[in-house]
Amino acid sequence: MAQQREAIAVAPLADFPDGSHKVVKINGREVGIFNVGGTFHALPNLCPHQLGPLCLGRVSGTLDRRPETGWQLQWIHDGEIVTCPWHGMEYHISTGQCLAYPEVRLRTYEVWVEDGMVMLRK
Amino acid sequence: MTTSVLEAAVVESSRERLQDVLIIDADVHVHESPTEMAAYAEMPWRLALETAGTLPERYLDLPGFSPGAAELGPKFPGGQGPARMVKTASQMREELHKLSINVAVLFPDHLLKLAVITQKEYAAAVARAYNAWLIDRWLTRAPGLLGCLIAAPQDPENAAQEIAKYAKEPGVVGVYLPTAGVDPLWGDRKYDSIYQAAQDADLPVMLHAVQLVHPVFPFQVQGFDTELARHALAHTFSMMANLVSMVTTGVMVRFPHLRICFTEAGISWVPFIINRLDKEYLERRREVPFLVNRPSHYIRKFYFGTQPVEEPESPMDLVTLTKLYGGEDTTVFASDWPHHDFDHPIKVYQLPFSPEVRRKILAENAMRLFKIDAQGYRTNT
Ligand code: FES
Repeated sequence: MAQQREAIAVAPLADFPDGSHKVVKINGREVGIFNVGGTFHALPNLCPHQLGPLCLGRVSGTLDRRPETGWQLQWIHDGEIVTCPWHGMEYHISTGQCLAYPEVRLRTYEVWVEDGMVMLRK
Repeated sequence: MTTSVLEAAVVESSRERLQDVLIIDADVHVHESPTEMAAYAEMPWRLALETAGTLPERYLDLPGFSPGAAELGPKFPGGQGPARMVKTASQMREELHKLSINVAVLFPDHLLKLAVITQKEYAAAVARAYNAWLIDRWLTRAPGLLGCLIAAPQDPENAAQEIAKYAKEPGVVGVYLPTAGVDPLWGDRKYDSIYQAAQDADLPVMLHAVQLVHPVFPFQVQGFDTELARHALAHTFSMMANLVSMVTTGVMVRFPHLRICFTEAGISWVPFIINRLDKEYLERRREVPFLVNRPSHYIRKFYFGTQPVEEPESPMDLVTLTKLYGGEDTTVFASDWPHHDFDHPIKVYQLPFSPEVRRKILAENAMRLFKIDAQGYRTNT
């Protein structure tokens, strides 16, 4: 019998102003919750590189430079990238995609706002 | 931030196994404040250290103490975050405990750049103050914390006296040779008094560099666009250059009982340099007639720190690379905690070495290098 996974109230919406992120502990598991421009995302606080606490890292953008843009340096994904504080690997918050290694993608958690609370499904 | 960086990293399943393993770490860094060190310095150098302590401090960049611009490129928002520093022995014990490291050998932060100080007397005074401060504030305060004396290359005689002075000090297990910006390279006979003193004291010498842009070979890395390029080569080139210098002047022939360790350059360069030197040797042996066998014969007795351990797509490659220089018996785990490119022991623990070789690399080789037991007590005093 398929079971709906439990929804958990994480914190009041007011704890997560636009652009902020926090690590919360849910049933012994650490999850990073991110408010990116009003949309919520959640990633495991565990970097696949050397198990660093990646969601404690800074949220920012990143740099781009490639033939398609005439090799011009560009600032992209502003507010959408989290950088692991241990060795600096970058991850795209909404997809969990690691920017350095194409084959590495973090799992994401379902997260939403309901009645003024940030909710997460394990 | 709701949890500290280390707390959050505790992953029960993997950590449990690591905790059962003895881990000796050949390279961690203390943050030395010139203000604290001033109390251990003679006049008038005490004033110079006190003055350095009043200046705004940037990471590994403090005028009159660790001179030189650390950051050449543009600064953009984001990135890895502020530099981590360890300022007390109790903080170090706590953090090493979370990393499952049982015994660690301490090196400095700022004084990674000691060799670029131009004034000989000052460099020697700073080294003396550091040695006294390290022993008093770190080595006698917490079990499992061991340290290296710093040898100022500017004044080898003074360094040799320091080594003799602290030869029997329980927490002292090595002599750190500042390698960033050192001129001449460590093979020069000018340094023989340091090697003699280290050999007499039965202490290994530990070469350790730091990324630097400096007008001394091989630190002229200003031609690169990126820090990626500079950092990839600065540590490795300096270890290669100094190893080649030491082998081709015969340091290990002049001091046959001296133990020599190269750190913070990973290990994949070692097979390369062995093969290059062996090839050159067959043609130019008469320049180095004191070598009675191929250079590799000597280099196999040197020790090498793992960090920053290479991360090839196939981890088995590292096992092969280690075999290529006989590194099962001479490779020592090093974390470089708390620096930006530190390695968690899990990374080395997980490599597909045999259980026996894993034990050697994580602890037993270091016990032989530093002549310590599993608790970190010296076996040669
Ligand atoms: S643990 Fe995250 S970058 Fe190394």
